[in-house]
Amino acid sequence: MISKKSSFTAALLLPFLALAGCAGESPDSGSETESGSGDRTQISFIHWRGEDKAVLDDIIAQFEDEFPEISVEMNIYPSEQYQATGQRMLTDGSTGDVFTSFPGAQFEAIANAGFFEDLSGEDFVENFDESLITVGEKDGQQLALPYQLVFNMPVYNKGMFDELGLEVPKSWTEFQEMADTLLENDIIPIAFPGADIGPNQFMNSMMMNNAPDEDIFEKLQNGEESLTNEWWVKTLEDFQLLEEKGYIQSDALGTSQDSAMAMVANEEAAMLATGSYHMAALLGLNPDLELDLMAPITVEESEAQYEGINTATFMLAVNSNSEKKEEAKEFIRFLSRPEIASQYANETGQHLTVNDVEYESEVLQNTAYWIDERKTRFQPRFLITNAQIEAAVLGSIENVLGGADPMEAAEEAQQIVDENRE
Amino acid sequence: MKISKSIYLFFLPGLLLYSIFFLYPTVSALFYSFTDWDGLSDAYQFVGIGNYERALTGDSVFRKTVGNNMKFMLVVVILQTLVALAFALIVLKNTKTNLFLRALYFFPTILSSVSVAFIWSFIYDPSLGILNQILELLGLDFLRQNWLGNSDIAIYSLAITQVWFHAGQMLIIFVAGLQAIPEDLYEVAKIEGASKWQTFQKVTWPLLAPSATIVIAYTTIQSFKAFDLVFAMTGGGPNNSTEIIATYIFDVAFRSYNFGYASSISVLFMIIIAIITFLQFKALRSDRISY
Repeated sequence: MISKKSSFTAALLLPFLALAGCAGESPDSGSETESGSGDRTQISFIHWRGEDKAVLDDIIAQFEDEFPEISVEMNIYPSEQYQATGQRMLTDGSTGDVFTSFPGAQFEAIANAGFFEDLSGEDFVENFDESLITVGEKDGQQLALPYQLVFNMPVYNKGMFDELGLEVPKSWTEFQEMADTLLENDIIPIAFPGADIGPNQFMNSMMMNNAPDEDIFEKLQNGEESLTNEWWVKTLEDFQLLEEKGYIQSDALGTSQDSAMAMVANEEAAMLATGSYHMAALLGLNPDLELDLMAPITVEESEAQYEGINTATFMLAVNSNSEKKEEAKEFIRFLSRPEIASQYANETGQHLTVNDVEYESEVLQNTAYWIDERKTRFQPRFLITNAQIEAAVLGSIENVLGGADPMEAAEEAQQIVDENRE
Repeated sequence: MKISKSIYLFFLPGLLLYSIFFLYPTVSALFYSFTDWDGLSDAYQFVGIGNYERALTGDSVFRKTVGNNMKFMLVVVILQTLVALAFALIVLKNTKTNLFLRALYFFPTILSSVSVAFIWSFIYDPSLGILNQILELLGLDFLRQNWLGNSDIAIYSLAITQVWFHAGQMLIIFVAGLQAIPEDLYEVAKIEGASKWQTFQKVTWPLLAPSATIVIAYTTIQSFKAFDLVFAMTGGGPNNSTEIIATYIFDVAFRSYNFGYASSISVLFMIIIAIITFLQFKALRSDRISY
């Protein structure tokens, strides 16, 4: 029988196990370097893009052929895990000589910890589109170089729209008319994966014209703005309208990303409320689909300032704790070559921030006009640098989709914002 | 008898392991709970009891997670104990069928929590999920639910999964406890004309109390530690309705980079578990009878 004392002790120690990983390593851990095999210097490359493994393996093989003195060990982590623990792997410099970072909270945390090597002045920085890499800048230093250019706005079935004689709506009124027509044809207008990434992706395009000020979340975090103000309450009311009118599927908060994708691939739904990064997967499920991108314009046409959302992400960086910085920079230089970047873009179905990339796939060519010809803004969610505030913002959307009144949901979220403001 | 001092050397390996894997992290967490350490940089400042003050008075999400955890724990402890006990009584005798059934009930326990999360996320899926489809087939459409998407019931849906996951483990403890009760007592009860319920009330339950104590204490601790299941199935959503203390600690530490504050919540977490476990032991001890 377990004695009371030993059970008490066991219970006492239990919660700390959850933090064993965090507290077990002190902030002043020493540094350690890993030597390469033979005469080769091995560098570590860590990221979260499991779906890109094959093409990156091939690119790494080409790199190692050209630079036989350097080998690259690639480790891929699930994005959730990477977002949560990636930065901790950089602390001693033995892992992640080259690493990637998400914009927003992770970038800020790594920058504040001083783990980014300043890449300003490196020749390969010129290989990138200057206007698309500003998200990797901080205090005048180019700390990271975003590699991918993603459009976080709904993917829609262009073929279906053409068949039904529908045009891309330019205002909130037109958007609702379009959605009504789809419903009349027994088609769900928007497949919304509310159980996972739906709220954090769709919030961007839903709010982009309700709050055109790109500093809105900075102001929210420093107390100059509130979620109970018009811009956010209207966004929540718009979400409520989508739910009440059946423009998103019923039980949306229980729908996973895979289920929502299946709805679009099976043509049960016309739009997928995620982003351009799902186009290749949708075509994999149904190669007959003709796809394009479309963000809901939630204001009248004359008031609309933005047509969509972009995110320069998968930010390449060199670990400041690394002892192999030159080799790490050589690898980034290689990745930024137009021919290598073109291979990466075409084989992964992603637009890139690198200059002179040649997009060969039909879907990339058809949507490349979003890079230069459309007015998009950087993903607002990534401008929330406090994760607790971000969770409060997203929680208010879930709250409304769960039936709460928009103002009450906004007030509840604002309370959390106030509690977490630094 | 004189004991050689060298005997104390035998304590060293255990003490060393205990110190490295338990004591050091514990003391570190306690230390950092008084700081604003972000978990990454070298620098931190002492903030006194600021983190504790914030958790207890200025963090509505933390309060919500405590409430969620209590709901989760109560449902899991009650349901898991009853289910495990009921099944243990059914499969008590060592027949071939019962041995097979015990193995079958125990099977979920050996699965990884991520697999369990995947299976049950599919079962609960509102459109493709088997649960709603079965309800529909049975003509019970009115019971269809958005099991993980409805913030009013999501925590209970998770609790059911937790019970399915771990009830088999507790069943084994109950079977062992039941088999240790001497047959004579049942024979005496029978001679005295006791009904089945009276026999259970006066013989089985009092003698099963030590096993029940273990089951309830362990289930309580398990329900506070259900991090992996919650993380994989709902991530704490929708709108924090399934956020439990363990997942909140993770969020604060690894997403908000506030290890100091996460450490203070961890200490409070420990105190909550300690109090609940203590009260359970106190309550269950009074039920113990020796014949």
